[in-house]
Amino acid sequence: MANAIEVEKLRKEFKSYSSRSGLIGAFRDLFTRNYKIIRAVNDISFTVKQGEMVGYIGENGAGKSTTIKMLTGILTPTSGKVIVNGMNPHKEREKFVQTIGVVFGQRSQLWWDIAVQESFRLLKKVYRVSDQAYKEHMEHVIETLDIGPLLDKPVRKLSLGQRMRCELAAALIHNPPLLFLDEPTIGLDVLVKLKIRKFLKEINEKYNTTILLTTHDISDIEALCERVIMLDEGKIIYDGSLQELKANWGEGKQIQFQFAKEVAQEELNVLTADLKVQWQAGERENVWTAHVSPTDMSDVIGRVVAKYEIKDININEISTEEIIRNIYEEGVVYG
Amino acid sequence: MFYVSVFFQYMSQYLKTKLQYRTDLFVEFFSDLMFQAVNLIFILVVFGHTQVLNGWTRDEIIFIYGFFLVPFAVFGAFFNIWDFNERYIVRGEMDRVLTRPVHSLFQIILERMELESLLGAITGIIIMIYAGSRLDLVFHWYDIFIFILFVLGGTLVYAGIFISLATISFWSDARSSIMPMMYNIGNYGRYPIDIYNRVIRYILTWILPFAFVGVYPSAYFLGKKEWYGYAFLTPVMGLIFFMIAVFLWNAGVKRYRGAGN
Repeated sequence: MANAIEVEKLRKEFKSYSSRSGLIGAFRDLFTRNYKIIRAVNDISFTVKQGEMVGYIGENGAGKSTTIKMLTGILTPTSGKVIVNGMNPHKEREKFVQTIGVVFGQRSQLWWDIAVQESFRLLKKVYRVSDQAYKEHMEHVIETLDIGPLLDKPVRKLSLGQRMRCELAAALIHNPPLLFLDEPTIGLDVLVKLKIRKFLKEINEKYNTTILLTTHDISDIEALCERVIMLDEGKIIYDGSLQELKANWGEGKQIQFQFAKEVAQEELNVLTADLKVQWQAGERENVWTAHVSPTDMSDVIGRVVAKYEIKDININEISTEEIIRNIYEEGVVYG
Repeated sequence: MFYVSVFFQYMSQYLKTKLQYRTDLFVEFFSDLMFQAVNLIFILVVFGHTQVLNGWTRDEIIFIYGFFLVPFAVFGAFFNIWDFNERYIVRGEMDRVLTRPVHSLFQIILERMELESLLGAITGIIIMIYAGSRLDLVFHWYDIFIFILFVLGGTLVYAGIFISLATISFWSDARSSIMPMMYNIGNYGRYPIDIYNRVIRYILTWILPFAFVGVYPSAYFLGKKEWYGYAFLTPVMGLIFFMIAVFLWNAGVKRYRGAGN
């Protein structure tokens, strides 16, 4: 199967100047400026196969949006190679964008004042979609996203969830083989999120559409993507399956004990000295959390229960969100 | 062909939007009409005091003004992208434009269309007819085509200059006051060029060729033979300046940095 996206040593630098402080500094800025080159994306390489759903994650300012903008032909890379759908996005922009769909969650693609169906009609013209292709494809999209009743309303009268569903439909008018979604579920309620996820899965299965998704909501990624690419300070720090990430980082459980009386950390450490346990004070009084490997779980519980009076026990798995937070705190991916 | 059909699609959308707000439409139409009427009276009153200006009679000056209003109206209807910096660069609307398979400048022109500006052309034509009848000008059948050609030329000169200015935003995102200044300079093109000193005349002809929007093309209709050469340069200058603008635009798009989220 052909690669939908090929990126090699892609780099984007921005020149920005830092202003000096004070009035005198401002005058000096007038003549000589301190330019600083910021590398928003730093020599990243990856490929995405046709039909893959990839989660592209990173903190704010990690370079996610910049990468997406280079992949969609909005920005010109400083150096490196980008081939998307067999084309160079910024060189053959007008021909290229015909083959992609883009949704920016924080920016509307639709015209504010006119009814949704008028926006669709305009986009249909712009993307040169035939009446027949439009009918076949869009009827299904409109039905699945349940936006039929919204079509004759102007965009400004729609709620955020309604608008997002329409945006998604608008990005698919020309049935592109590749879809870029930049935070498509930001600010949406759970029901709309579920609907959108279900829809994305469906078009991926039906048309083998490649989807590249950035999001802050890890549950989106868990629900949709087999593969994640993690970005930190313009570099890829992890590229692989979500399963593997979880297996390497998420091994072990957290057991939360609520004790009836006050307990000192040393006591707990002594009690479980021969086991692989880390004790951590909880947020409430007399609450301690033990991070243990699964094999030692019963031992730890047994010893603690035998010695102390316990009010409550909770056993949790480490969430993906926590794993990702840990990775960012340490900045490297092990394993 | 494709671009023509996209143009009409956008235009029908534009009209639909306008028709949606019925009261707005009437109020706007009425106020535009009032504005044009006031404009008309104002011009006649102001020029009522001038008799002869460096060999140009009062009616000739009024005629030039009338002609100027026509390309200016067409410019205002299609190329008025004075808010390009704020709207497309600062607010990041350019991102959206760049993800669509139509030339970005063409899209922006279509989005910023303001057809009501065309009312100004009617005022212009009324003024020309008024001044022309007092001057006993003779018109030939082919003059109508020359008129259209010159109007297009003048419009392209205006469009070229303002689009070029808009492209500055691609290099520097600071807001500048150059646009309003340029509107002022543009007004100099509607007075007889030989009332200015040589430097200004040179600038208005070759650097910021606003003279090609008013005086030069009007000179043809006024039968001023000594200016015919300049008059027929109008469409050429229009094309040259518009091509420069498109070239700068394309170069600018490559430099586009995008707005942060």
